[in-house]
Amino acid sequence: MSNLTAKGIVKTYGGKDVLHGIDLELEPGKIYGLIGRNGAGKTTLLSILTAQNPASAGTVTYEGQPVWENPDVLRHLCFSRELNQMTGSNANTMKVKEYLRIAATFFPYWDKEMAARLVKEFDLDVKKRISKLSKGMLSMVTIIVALASKAEFTFLDEPVAGLDVVARERFYNLLVEEFTETGRTFVVSTHIIEEAADTFEEVIIVDKGKILLKENTQELLDRSFHISGHEEEVDKATAFLDVYHEEHLGRSKGVTVLLKPGQSIPDQYDVSIQKLNLQKVFVALCGEES
Amino acid sequence: MNEILTQEKSIYIQIKEMIENDILRDILLEEERVPSTNELAKLFSINPATAAKGVNLLVDDGTLYKKRGIGMFVAEGAKKKIMEKRKKHFYDDYVKSLLAEAGSLGITKEELIAMIRESKDGGIEHE
Repeated sequence: MSNLTAKGIVKTYGGKDVLHGIDLELEPGKIYGLIGRNGAGKTTLLSILTAQNPASAGTVTYEGQPVWENPDVLRHLCFSRELNQMTGSNANTMKVKEYLRIAATFFPYWDKEMAARLVKEFDLDVKKRISKLSKGMLSMVTIIVALASKAEFTFLDEPVAGLDVVARERFYNLLVEEFTETGRTFVVSTHIIEEAADTFEEVIIVDKGKILLKENTQELLDRSFHISGHEEEVDKATAFLDVYHEEHLGRSKGVTVLLKPGQSIPDQYDVSIQKLNLQKVFVALCGEES
Repeated sequence: MNEILTQEKSIYIQIKEMIENDILRDILLEEERVPSTNELAKLFSINPATAAKGVNLLVDDGTLYKKRGIGMFVAEGAKKKIMEKRKKHFYDDYVKSLLAEAGSLGITKEELIAMIRESKDGGIEHE
């Protein structure tokens, strides 16, 4: 088992840089969360990591070999794209049955029995055309392809976007179950951060075409705090700390701080210190309009 | 192990406290196997590394011990140890915040003591 390594990835669309020199090391045996705002470059990054889209510059390698047009490497990768009724891809005129049959020939480790079991569990009508599926059913197809591919590195782009809350919970459960049984690596992009956060060993935050942060989720949360109180007290308490996302209301002030190693919040000031969840940390880091 | 996870505390701290609670309530007995990190991960849909972080805190403080190839077990004397540890933290965890809230409401210590004495809640019997 080996790392999937991206070095200096740049992607330019029509003279505009979408990704600005991304370095990323994905280790085997982890679930990664990929989060970022719309247009941050998540889907572009995923498609380049899996060689579905050429990079304008930079390399992606697995076991020292380039991923691009390399069947020996590609057999270990699966990028299950978000399906959409509107996009004019060939997939849309296909029946679910046909789409899954193509996936079965495309992924060498395809688990036919698992795909059939999930189709049944999700109550998916395989005779329906992809273009006729509801948003929830489209998500289910994406999830079935990802899980049944059994690929060493599996990338899911917004797998839960169309699912109701019960189906979403079931997805996280399936993901953890598959992970504990196989140790495959999963990279999951999502906007529904909070409910997915606990399944991520590491979180990767992409902002404006760059990787803002890649860190163990629990360690990130352990060093993130919301500090609030009288403006003067908050300013004194946070004077030597990295402060994000200031909010004011009259005399009161609230800020987010991310402690660096060795830093702590001084305890002699009259402020409220609260823990943050991943969604709040993300908004504090990426929520500023520029 | 059937409590639910909240957002107030780190997930791995909650896993640790849940196991402690189950030991205190005799849901998990001493010398009995505790759920594996994979079992905990699946039960709560959390990352196994996070579950392991919670379990390892209990291994480090001697509440649980590892039997190689079999799993984690509750150590002998674990229940007593957890009670002693929680008693030690009782002042910091409960009494301090009780006094702070009482202070900001103008409740005197005497009134507070009277409240506790007259309270019908709680399981503490008179000596």
